[in-house]
Amino acid sequence: MSKIIAGLLLAASFVRAQEPRQIMEEVQRRQRSESQHYEGTLEVIGNGSRIATKRWVFDRIGAFGNSKGMLRFTVPAEVKGVGLLIVNHTDRASDQWLWRPNIGREQRIALQDRSTRFFGTDFSFEDLEERDVAQFDYKLLGDEKDTWKLQSTPRKSSQYTYGYLWVKKDNYTIVKVESYNKKGLVRVIDYRDFELAKGIWTARTIEVADVTRNSRTTLKYDKLEYNLPMKDGDFTLDALRRGP
Amino acid sequence: MTGLLLFALLAQNFEQRGFIQNQALFYPQTTSNDGAQAVDQAAIRWEASYKVAPWLKLAGALDARADTHRQVNRDAQLNVDDRTTQRPAFSLRELNATLHKGKVTAEFGRQIIRWGKTDILTPTDRFAPKDYLSSVVDSDFLAVPAARITIAGANDSFDAIWQPWFTPSRTPLLNQRWTALPPELNGVTIADAGARYPGRSQFGLRWNHIAPRYEYSLSYFDGFNNLPLFSASLDPATAAVRAQRFYPSMRMYGADTAIPLPWLTVKGEAGYFTSTTPGAQDYVLYVIQVERQIKEWSLVGGYAGEAVTSGAANALSFTPDRGFAKSFVGHATLTIDVNRSLTVETAVRSAGSFVRFEYSQAFREHWRVTPGVAWIRGDMTDFLGQYHRNSYASLGVRYSF
Repeated sequence: MSKIIAGLLLAASFVRAQEPRQIMEEVQRRQRSESQHYEGTLEVIGNGSRIATKRWVFDRIGAFGNSKGMLRFTVPAEVKGVGLLIVNHTDRASDQWLWRPNIGREQRIALQDRSTRFFGTDFSFEDLEERDVAQFDYKLLGDEKDTWKLQSTPRKSSQYTYGYLWVKKDNYTIVKVESYNKKGLVRVIDYRDFELAKGIWTARTIEVADVTRNSRTTLKYDKLEYNLPMKDGDFTLDALRRGP
Repeated sequence: MTGLLLFALLAQNFEQRGFIQNQALFYPQTTSNDGAQAVDQAAIRWEASYKVAPWLKLAGALDARADTHRQVNRDAQLNVDDRTTQRPAFSLRELNATLHKGKVTAEFGRQIIRWGKTDILTPTDRFAPKDYLSSVVDSDFLAVPAARITIAGANDSFDAIWQPWFTPSRTPLLNQRWTALPPELNGVTIADAGARYPGRSQFGLRWNHIAPRYEYSLSYFDGFNNLPLFSASLDPATAAVRAQRFYPSMRMYGADTAIPLPWLTVKGEAGYFTSTTPGAQDYVLYVIQVERQIKEWSLVGGYAGEAVTSGAANALSFTPDRGFAKSFVGHATLTIDVNRSLTVETAVRSAGSFVRFEYSQAFREHWRVTPGVAWIRGDMTDFLGQYHRNSYASLGVRYSF
């Protein structure tokens, strides 16, 4: 009898795991870390040929959706030192400030300006923030062999009206995102070259394609580390101005 | 082997960057005091910083300059105070130490300090003298020697600055086109009689608060205007007018705010300025601007205003900050792609206006070419209009490293 009950509970939990919100909560849970550090190399490719290479260093403190991130360009020389502070919130869109050393003042990136491309890459400012799963409604659209296909609709203000996500069943990683606005498809993000780092499956290559501009940017992670000791005081406006 | 490891360790904490730049300026018209129609200026800037410890960083920047128009002094000596009328050939632009512990950051030495939130005109930016030698519509900031303590929390920061030695803005040379002389002074020789610098220090306080839907600052400054008034006297021996610069005392009560609204961001900044120096006015300078990104366009537009509360206007002054007041100001940048951008900047007043176009293109990782045009119109009664013969075309080439 107890085996039957246990079997029923297992079956029930399996069914529950198929529910879109549970899938996304599991995705977020498996990405959880106290901090993250990586050095990213970006290649911007327009009209089929590489037109720019940039590098940045990214640090994040706090768990996904309620974290703070600091991004600083290191290459090319003319943008070296440019920084972006991202303060993510569980209940609303992030706050973002941009620092340009040649101007010497920080600039708040307004919510309505988040659809702008970030320094000529195909990432928009909004793409750089982390949004908690609670900020979206989800719908399961397909249950394929290896992946689930979900539709996400933002509850809060966003440049996107909805998106499609593909989540791998074996390790709950997002492998592809298509983001749409009222006019249609805007961006396609492909996550590739997954590696297990400190128990977290992480895509070492992210390719963002701006469909409207026929341009794409490839971000490759280097020196990826999780759970390094970091201080909250290094993720403030003062820290943004102070530099690394 | 140990040496190599030590070197690698040191290099890890060392950062540097800089540029080599050449800019050519072409003026279609001459002025009564300046016949040059082509000016070339070259600059090398090297900035370096070294993190001695997690709580201590040393930083410095050196400039080397040369030009064809004697705006740059040709003496081969290192300048450290930026008080010369000409730009020094070699100057210590910045040299400072930053100490950081917990919520407190202390910076000592020559440093660039910026306050305020608005863009084209920033009334509360009192520790930021500028170099106006080459243009009053496109000028570079100068560093000041100061001690700055910042206490920063998640939502509030408090800034205290003490500047022991005064750094003036570098005003246009009297025998060059950005000193606009009225026609009645044609033929009169005007000689620079130097400057009387303030004998005491200046200080300022600023509190900045960040809330989810807005942010604002309150600021206070007690010191001197970095823009001069002039006292003029006739030298009977040479029949020349001798103009001496002096810097009126200034007390400022300022505020600035940024409010992101659903469709645009509103920014405002205002300062109330008082002075005890005879010949200086008390006034309010304010800017209200809105900004918005639309696709690849970054658009800023607003109005800069001024209200004089006491004192009479002083004709013997150089006040580009107030010169932009009572103007509609605008700034637009189009990011064409990762390497190319187009910028338009304008100020429109009742009797004078300017518009500046700049196209910028990067080549490979290091090179950037920036051609531009500035067009200035108006009459001699207006701050901008007085420079109506100074419209120019420019071509900048920069190698960043």
